[in-house]
Amino acid sequence: MSKDEEIKEGKKEEKFEEETAEITAEELLLPRDTMLSAGIHIGTRMKTGDMEQFIYRVRPDGLFVLDVKKTDDRIRIAAKFLARFEPSKIAAAAARLYAQEPVSKFCEVTGATPIVGRFIPGLLSNPLYPNRIEPEVLIVSDPRADSQAVKEAASEGIPVIALCSTDNEFSGVDLVIPTNNKGRRALAVIYWLLARQILRERGELAPDKDLPLTIEDFEAKISKEEEET
Amino acid sequence: MAEKTATLTLVACTSCGKPISPGAEATKFLCPNCGEILIRRCGKCRKFGRPYKCPKCGFIGP
Repeated sequence: MSKDEEIKEGKKEEKFEEETAEITAEELLLPRDTMLSAGIHIGTRMKTGDMEQFIYRVRPDGLFVLDVKKTDDRIRIAAKFLARFEPSKIAAAAARLYAQEPVSKFCEVTGATPIVGRFIPGLLSNPLYPNRIEPEVLIVSDPRADSQAVKEAASEGIPVIALCSTDNEFSGVDLVIPTNNKGRRALAVIYWLLARQILRERGELAPDKDLPLTIEDFEAKISKEEEET
Repeated sequence: MAEKTATLTLVACTSCGKPISPGAEATKFLCPNCGEILIRRCGKCRKFGRPYKCPKCGFIGP
């Protein structure tokens, strides 16, 4: 093969790679770079058998990396699923500190019921508890941190959607969204995407329009004292 | 006096295929993907995280 032919072949390959990159960028809900910079693909050093199907590779430092495409697919499916419920019948639980702000904003945008901070036992299952709520679907930010919510949802027969990292198990969960559920930025991106996709599925937001709130608004704010320490 | 008989039809779990007894910690929801098929999961399948498959669209959960 002559040099000219080799250059031509090389250019062809580059063009093909560019095209495929464009297609994948179009397919994802957010540009791949934005998702990766938020760290939604970063898992933990632990892997469960349940989460194996969502793991893309293992980094040399031992961290398991999640498949962004699968996360994207699951966000779409979860949004489709949640859009079928009345907004007031959706509850979102967040015991984790970094998930509390994203959940509050998510509920503000979609009209769901937030359960932030400590989950009071009996909130779903005790009929004598005056502040009891009766949702038809529950979203949890971490099935391990929100184990009480998952347990009560199981006893009440409420379907559970959970954000799961590589170290979570599927016990009591009906739909998994594989993602980093520990990162501040990652949680903000996931809840922002989910809120936007739900509104799009409901027809309240045009398919090419974004939310009035930005991802930064969804992010948990750190006080100056915490930053210094 | 004629005896009254009632038959109780138990629905089957989508994951294991076993009948779900009333009052069990089971759940039912429309397929998250197509929204046309009713998925039923018994308490045990939920607890052990057993997979379920939509017979129409082929979606495998959880």
